[in-house]
Amino acid sequence: MNIQEYISSGIIESYVLGLASAEERIEFEQMCSEYPELVEARNNFELALEEQARRNASPPPSKVKEKIWSVIRQFSNTPKIINMEPTTRRSSGSRWVAAASIILFLIAGYFAFTLYNRNKKLEDSNKVLEARANRTDSLLNRITEEQKTINNPNVTVVNMVGTQKASPSSASIYWDSTSTNVYLVVKNMPKLPSDKQYQLWALIDGKPWDLGLFDAQENNVILKMKNTQKADAFAITIENRGNTGGPTLEKLQSMGKAKL
Amino acid sequence: MSPYTKYNEQELVALLLQQNDQAFSYLYDNYSPALFGIINQIVSDKETASDVLQDVFINIWRKIGSYDDSKGRLFTWMLNIARNAAIDKIRSRPYQDNLKNQPLTENVNSKSANPVVNPQINDVGLKKLIHKLKEEYRILIDMSYFQGFTHEEIAKLLNIPLGTVKTRIRSALIQLRTLI
Repeated sequence: MNIQEYISSGIIESYVLGLASAEERIEFEQMCSEYPELVEARNNFELALEEQARRNASPPPSKVKEKIWSVIRQFSNTPKIINMEPTTRRSSGSRWVAAASIILFLIAGYFAFTLYNRNKKLEDSNKVLEARANRTDSLLNRITEEQKTINNPNVTVVNMVGTQKASPSSASIYWDSTSTNVYLVVKNMPKLPSDKQYQLWALIDGKPWDLGLFDAQENNVILKMKNTQKADAFAITIENRGNTGGPTLEKLQSMGKAKL
Repeated sequence: MSPYTKYNEQELVALLLQQNDQAFSYLYDNYSPALFGIINQIVSDKETASDVLQDVFINIWRKIGSYDDSKGRLFTWMLNIARNAAIDKIRSRPYQDNLKNQPLTENVNSKSANPVVNPQINDVGLKKLIHKLKEEYRILIDMSYFQGFTHEEIAKLLNIPLGTVKTRIRSALIQLRTLI
């Protein structure tokens, strides 16, 4: 149906006179928003209807107006208050809006707070997990390194045996004779005072060669020591922290012969 | 602009929204005769019609905030309030009871061949115009517009199909348009 057909279908008259169904009214109002010519035609009919009604007007009894005023005055006592009425009504409306928005704000705030807390908790536990993962990773790396060293066929394993002075002391030296790398695995060595350190020596032709100072803070840790091409035996002594001199043999902790 | 106008519709509505006494007084003086004319076409008794008019203006005063000028003119809005109030009145229990107490000759309505109750009072305005319509149209407009029956009720009361009621009312309105 084109708009002209719609205009002349009787819908305008039906709508204006209040005879259209709810669906027809909705459709008509929708069409009015799209077709200015429909609005114009509606307006023309309304004007004609108003003129027609004016031509057939009938003055009501004069007392009716007074009665109406008296009823309207009852809504409130003074004209001043009557004038106030729309503002109070509107403000009561805006009070509802205000109340509703405060409630909404509180609800939103509550959710934001809850989410923030939850997020923080998750962040914290995430950090804990991350730290744990890092520790596990480094441990795994160490173990992998150790495993590689142990399984290398060129590596000579020297088990250091504790001297009588330090019977529980024990460590293993992994000496790669091709790469000349020396690794030390602490197995069970007592903790030292903070000014003392262990020192590894290689004995070559009866002379001690420094292979490095170390702290035995943790067991089963693989420590990379200084390289050496030759070694008849290895020894561990206790020295002052940062020792640069020779070994203090009375403090010999453990010793092991390199089998060549 | 008709010669009655002192305010235009927009100004009038704006002032009515502020519950301006002067604007309301003007509204009454300017529109009440036309609305009273319509009410009289539905409610034959002048006293009752005055009561309806009173209710109509009190409703206009209270409900002006729901008037939407995009949907039609102010007069159209008031006309529909007046028509609905008048129809509510003639359908109300007290009014119906009162009718029953009147001589039978006055209690003639749509089901008779001539739906006009009291030609001296009512046969003016739109109601007069519908006499120019075909008989089958006239009764449909009278029942739907002046008595407020729905299309379904008319179909049942006159024992004609609903579709026919709808198309005939549309045709009647198109014809009425040329008469106004």
